[in-house]
Amino acid sequence: MNWSWFHKLGSPKWFFSWSKSWALPLFCFGCLCLVVGLVWGLAFAPADYQQGNSFRIIYIHVPVAMLAQSCYLALGVAGFVFLVWQMKMAPIFIKAMAPIGAVMALIALVSGAIWGKPTWGTWWVWDARLTSVLVLFFLYMGIIALQNSLDDLVLANKAAAVISVVGLINLPIIKYSVVLLETLHQGPTFTLTKKPEMPPEMWLPLLIAVVGMYFFVAGLVMWRMQSEILIREHRSNWVKQEVMENGF
Amino acid sequence: MTYSSFLVSEFLVLWRRKQDVVNALLFFVIVVALFPIGINSSAEFLAPAAAGIVWCALVLAILMAIEGMFKEDFRDGSLEQWVVSGLSLPVLILLKVIVQWLAVVLPLLVMMPLFSEMLYLPSSGFWVLIMTLLLGSPSLFFIGVIGAALTVSIRQGAILVMLLILPFYLPVIIFATSAVQAVQAGLPYSGLLAMLLAMSLLSLVVSPFMTAIAVKASVN
Repeated sequence: MNWSWFHKLGSPKWFFSWSKSWALPLFCFGCLCLVVGLVWGLAFAPADYQQGNSFRIIYIHVPVAMLAQSCYLALGVAGFVFLVWQMKMAPIFIKAMAPIGAVMALIALVSGAIWGKPTWGTWWVWDARLTSVLVLFFLYMGIIALQNSLDDLVLANKAAAVISVVGLINLPIIKYSVVLLETLHQGPTFTLTKKPEMPPEMWLPLLIAVVGMYFFVAGLVMWRMQSEILIREHRSNWVKQEVMENGF
Repeated sequence: MTYSSFLVSEFLVLWRRKQDVVNALLFFVIVVALFPIGINSSAEFLAPAAAGIVWCALVLAILMAIEGMFKEDFRDGSLEQWVVSGLSLPVLILLKVIVQWLAVVLPLLVMMPLFSEMLYLPSSGFWVLIMTLLLGSPSLFFIGVIGAALTVSIRQGAILVMLLILPFYLPVIIFATSAVQAVQAGLPYSGLLAMLLAMSLLSLVVSPFMTAIAVKASVN
């Protein structure tokens, strides 16, 4: 296998020019999928036989909750890559990704609470999954606060990478909390190995919304990384050239 | 510098700056005393809540003690000396954590009978509480030391350490308090103690290396 793409990730300049052509298409495709999935799910999908129309918040809650975990996994991987290979793009990625992940975790908590009120009759319970997602939100906030409060860039990069890797321990807890501990939260909606128990007109829009969310976040993250690269490399010649030629 | 001279000097520093340890312990006593005064001083409330109160107070006291763990070493340059000493940095950190743990947790264990009287903890729960403290508190120190090393160069790092570290403390608190509640309800509790031990061992393996990375980055 050709690993040159991986080594190129060490160069902000290469990433900047590469991502410039990718960010907008990814973002637009993600938005399109999201709109299709949400409109289909919120307006046209059949109502649940048990929960009626209140189940429709699943089309927001599940994609956002999945992204909250995936973003953290990506943070952890980036932290590991940085600690092992000192790759320059990894801390930039962490800086760009952490606030997005925090927002995702927050929306997941809030939408879950709104969903919980009509279904369980309570906004919040201290069950394993809810608590561990709350912890995930705190972890994101910790990473953001740590990276922003350290003035020394080298130290800030290292610190964010270390805490991202250590925080990975929380992910299996979230993942298996509904399987291992019998609590209020319902089981996973999607699994790779089993056919979904919902009819296709209910899970298909959800799947589209999930895919759309991933692309939407990918586009967002690329834009945030580009601006972070511009800030960090503002002394280098290629950035000056870039701004002189294509500045807006 | 050798490992043994390092150990001796750590103990000496601790002994000559007794006030730090005493402060953490006093803080612990005050927090424990606040719960009966502030919420409810009846035995019906305190007996089931005792383990939770003790553990919350312990976590706060440890956070207080741990936040300044590397501060003095960072300021007077001994942190740099560790890095250039040629000794293994993770081992030095491990030794330092053990010294700190002994300094904070041993006096607490000695004071524990007093607290169990104050909080009406039944004697069956008392020994399990002692066990949870012995098995669970090392992981609190090992996790906390990562945060302390990461924030050592920040002047006002205390809140940041809490934000970074407290999420990792929650599972320990949950398992420890549910072990004491289980024994009070007559349920098996050895599995919960095993979980505490597992978390301590896992953090024992991971934390010195992560802390060493953070220390090296901080002293540049």
